[in-house]
Amino acid sequence: MKQRPIKFRILELYSDGVAHWNSEVVQQIQKEYDMSGDYYRDYINFDMIELVSGGMLTGTDEKIDKEGNYKKGTLLQKYMITDFGKIRASECCIRFL
Amino acid sequence: MMTSTNPFYKVEGLKMDDTNTDLKALKKELHTKRIRKGYMWAIFCAIGWALWYIAGTLLWTLDPFFGMYNDLAASDSSTVALILTAVLISGFTAITAIVALLVWNRTIGSHKEIKRSLSEFHPCSKWFLLASIFGGPIAIVGSFIAMGVIGPGFTAVAGLTYPIFGALLAWKWYGEKVSARALGGIMVIIVGGLTIFGGAAFGELAQAEGIPWLGIIGGLMGAIGFGTEGAIVGKGIDVTKPEVGLTIRYFFESSFWFILVIPLLALIGYPMFMYAFQIFDPLVIVILAATGFVAVANYSALYKSYPLVGVAKGQGVANVYGLLTVIFSFIFFGDMPQWTIIVGAVLCIGGSYIMFSEQSEDIESLRGGLK
Repeated sequence: MKQRPIKFRILELYSDGVAHWNSEVVQQIQKEYDMSGDYYRDYINFDMIELVSGGMLTGTDEKIDKEGNYKKGTLLQKYMITDFGKIRASECCIRFL
Repeated sequence: MMTSTNPFYKVEGLKMDDTNTDLKALKKELHTKRIRKGYMWAIFCAIGWALWYIAGTLLWTLDPFFGMYNDLAASDSSTVALILTAVLISGFTAITAIVALLVWNRTIGSHKEIKRSLSEFHPCSKWFLLASIFGGPIAIVGSFIAMGVIGPGFTAVAGLTYPIFGALLAWKWYGEKVSARALGGIMVIIVGGLTIFGGAAFGELAQAEGIPWLGIIGGLMGAIGFGTEGAIVGKGIDVTKPEVGLTIRYFFESSFWFILVIPLLALIGYPMFMYAFQIFDPLVIVILAATGFVAVANYSALYKSYPLVGVAKGQGVANVYGLLTVIFSFIFFGDMPQWTIIVGAVLCIGGSYIMFSEQSEDIESLRGGLK
């Protein structure tokens, strides 16, 4: 399958309208785009921060990663797509079911 | 090559001890870091932009550009000479910028994202094509018309007003939140810039015969061009990485100069290619490369600030470059600044402080006007 820009894919993953933890989405993108390692974990997470800042995703919950399954001691955030995010996603040719 | 720590994307990587489990405090710190990082990039852009002016000024003193300007000023007019020389310089700096950006994107691992984003024309790269037209030909040619018809002081004043257009468009178009306080800060910085260059601008306008409409239109093209570029880029960066967007923008800008403008000018009869083939002098190449590299550093910093603090604040803080240009010109060229620079400096720093000190924890998103 043709790979699309990472932010497209993040919006696509959130376009089910369900809230997902950033850690889950980051790990899925890492797998799909073959971007392993801590460097790319932070790299992809930064895209999500920009999407939140741009008003396309919004935080619904947060917790601290105490066990270190993702990144020990950091804030894990649960995000959901916003209405504006849906508009931007549909402009990126991502379909809403 | 990649290490486990990633200095460019560290906003979420907060260190904390096990006893600190206060979620709210952590969230607040995360937010503050995001904003601080955004401002840091904008200031970095201001410094880079001022340095760019130094390198850019040097280019005009070197052949083939120096000779090209003089030849065209003798055969046509100084305004035509300014614009055509600026076209050639812009074309070559766009090429060196692309080289620098490809190296940079490879280093940070974004090179594959360039191809992915470029091939998505309708949803993504078209924004950077538009941005390149506004920030490239429209703003650059406009600025040089203003410089030729009225003068550099007026051009600087006109150029410094561009965040007004950027902020207005970002707010109207996609509902970017611009608080009254941030707007106040932007205005204070602009007034600071006007104080620095205002005297020269009034002197130039007083010397002009009648109203120099062409020059005023040029100045407006500069301000609206750069401001509009910012707002359009904000839209493009929604769906790709800032440095990737910048690479695409320069790709379109250089294509525009070399595929359209320069051949067209050559067809009309200007010896553009004759001068273009004379750049292979080591000194010219080095200064061109430096100009391109500095442009990349400051432009990527500016683009990186947009998603973090917004187009309005990013451009507002980056506008401090006006002050820094005067300071760097003093350091590098010994141009003695006038006393007005002190008033201007206080205003620029004061305006930045007004923005930095704004409490914004409740603002998770920069957009609020759209549903």
